[in-house]
Amino acid sequence: MRIVPIFATILSLNGLPKRLQAVIYCLAGIVIGLAFFVARISNAASYLSDKPQSCINCHVMTDVYVSWQRGSHGQVAVCNDCHVPHLNSISKLAYKAYDGLKHSYVFTFRKEPQVIELSQLAKPVIQDNCINCHTQTFTLCKLPNSANRKCWDCHNNIHGSVHGLSASPEELRPKLPQAGLDIQMKGVD
Amino acid sequence: MPDSLSNSEKPKLPLWAGLIIALFAACLVVLLGLLAVSVMERRWEALRPIQVAVPVADYEPNSALWGVNYPRQYDTYLKSRISDTNTKFGGAFPRDYLENDPRKPILWAGSPFSKNYIQARGHVYSVEDVTKTKRVPSSAYPATCWTCKSSDVPRMMAKMGEKEFYAADFHELKSEMIHPVGCADCHDFQTMKLQITRPALVEALTKMGVDMKFVTHQQMRSLVCAQCHVEYYFKTDESAGLKNFLVFPWAKGTAAESMLSYYNDANFTDFVNPISNTPMIKVQHPDYELYLTGIHAYSNVSCADCHMPYRTEGGSKFTDHHVQSPLLNISASCAVCHRWTEDEIRSRVESIQTKVQESLIAAEGALVKAHCDIAEAMKAGATDAEIADSRRLLRDAQFFWDYVCSSNGMGFHSPTEAVRLAGKSADLAQQSRIITVRVLAKYGKTSPVDYSDIKKYFKK
Repeated sequence: MRIVPIFATILSLNGLPKRLQAVIYCLAGIVIGLAFFVARISNAASYLSDKPQSCINCHVMTDVYVSWQRGSHGQVAVCNDCHVPHLNSISKLAYKAYDGLKHSYVFTFRKEPQVIELSQLAKPVIQDNCINCHTQTFTLCKLPNSANRKCWDCHNNIHGSVHGLSASPEELRPKLPQAGLDIQMKGVD
Repeated sequence: MPDSLSNSEKPKLPLWAGLIIALFAACLVVLLGLLAVSVMERRWEALRPIQVAVPVADYEPNSALWGVNYPRQYDTYLKSRISDTNTKFGGAFPRDYLENDPRKPILWAGSPFSKNYIQARGHVYSVEDVTKTKRVPSSAYPATCWTCKSSDVPRMMAKMGEKEFYAADFHELKSEMIHPVGCADCHDFQTMKLQITRPALVEALTKMGVDMKFVTHQQMRSLVCAQCHVEYYFKTDESAGLKNFLVFPWAKGTAAESMLSYYNDANFTDFVNPISNTPMIKVQHPDYELYLTGIHAYSNVSCADCHMPYRTEGGSKFTDHHVQSPLLNISASCAVCHRWTEDEIRSRVESIQTKVQESLIAAEGALVKAHCDIAEAMKAGATDAEIADSRRLLRDAQFFWDYVCSSNGMGFHSPTEAVRLAGKSADLAQQSRIITVRVLAKYGKTSPVDYSDIKKYFKK
């Protein structure tokens, strides 16, 4: 009941000296501007899409991007088809948000390992997605203990046989998707 | 005054709350600003072209000057100062190979290796280690020993000439040999392309019919190592004007048998083992040759792929120049292909190495007894002609054992080949002993030779 007036007070900065109000509003303006700026240079909007290019906004995923693009799934599926849940749009968005925050934390603090492994959260998601497409395969064969085995325990070359942040040759590695304004890219090959 | 009235009814913020809000907003600005800078920096890492800050001079031996332009490579190269790493059979610490193995000084008796055999540390210590080792005497010694120890060598060879460099004295060149193995040993100063700077490798490959023009980059990632991590000997041929000329014995091929046959044809002897008076060959470290027979070479995996794997730091991919045992860097070297945990990989490698070690120890036992048997035959009065066959077999047997023993990595560069050679060594040593036993019998010695105190055969 009193929440609305308290909010209004905080927003209007009622009762503060005029100078302090001006400083706070200026800072708030800078925060909003910076937020837009960071969103732009990090291509934040692209994460709402399913485009595989969004995954190479930072360079950690460059190698898996190349191995996907040239591998068996390159023509038929994109990153999100396998790596995010498709149960409903809420679970999908929540998973993306959680994974995205984790990724940005790891990348910003340079904590990325040289060889990326699937997280415990990712495994069941991917396994479900394998079966979503390969339904026929599973009506034909039922593996003993198949509940405990993941498809990639045997099909371990989906992303090529060599794994690691540096596995792909330099020539195959795509450029970063562009962020920022064209004018900033002048002189950069 | 309805406005002022309603204003006064609204709750008012105290001054301290205002200050906290201002501080909070300021913190947000700083954090977002930092994040923006970080994002821009990380993008720039990937986009940045290679920038040469200071051009490197031709034959520049000082790696620090190259490092100005290639800070990541140089930083990792400097890590080879770390010399306390210790894997089960390797690592970069100065391991004493003679410790806990009384057989080795017997097998190498008569060679400097029986007195002092300490594992060399990382590349940055190459000059220091070669000037400290007791194997190099203070008297005149071939300058050829410098060939693999300093990045000043290409410069001095260009100045003096190859033959003249080898023919010089080790101690005379000491003042020129300042910089340890570094950038100039493997890289072209302008293009940074890998290049062979030691002529012995080119000469050996040319003799084998390899055209250096068609060597690929992936092959070069092994060949730059093969400039030094190979079997070699010093050839002196006065008629050809060669003194202590560095030669890789590959004219018949790089297999152990081919090299032995080359040495036997050339009648080459490194040292005479005084226990059995047998002319021996001391194998150096045929790491490259052994690797060529293994599964990794077959799969086109180069030395650098395991010993200096690629690393990714942010946007830049570069080669880790901290050359070390892959067991100290499993996740970046082994695990990119072998998708198991580090512990699993380590235990597999160590189990393979332990099997090689067991085969080597079995061969060593036979070799030591073969030396002792011949010593007994000599004592009994056997002539050189009578034990010539025993000595010939023993020389060959010890060559095959030493080939594996002196290679780094306890045979892991090619485990099946290592075990095959150890088996062959044990077989030849036992053949030698059978002949010696017949000779002993001829002189009436039919009771078993007493091996309980093998040290008595080891005359210093």
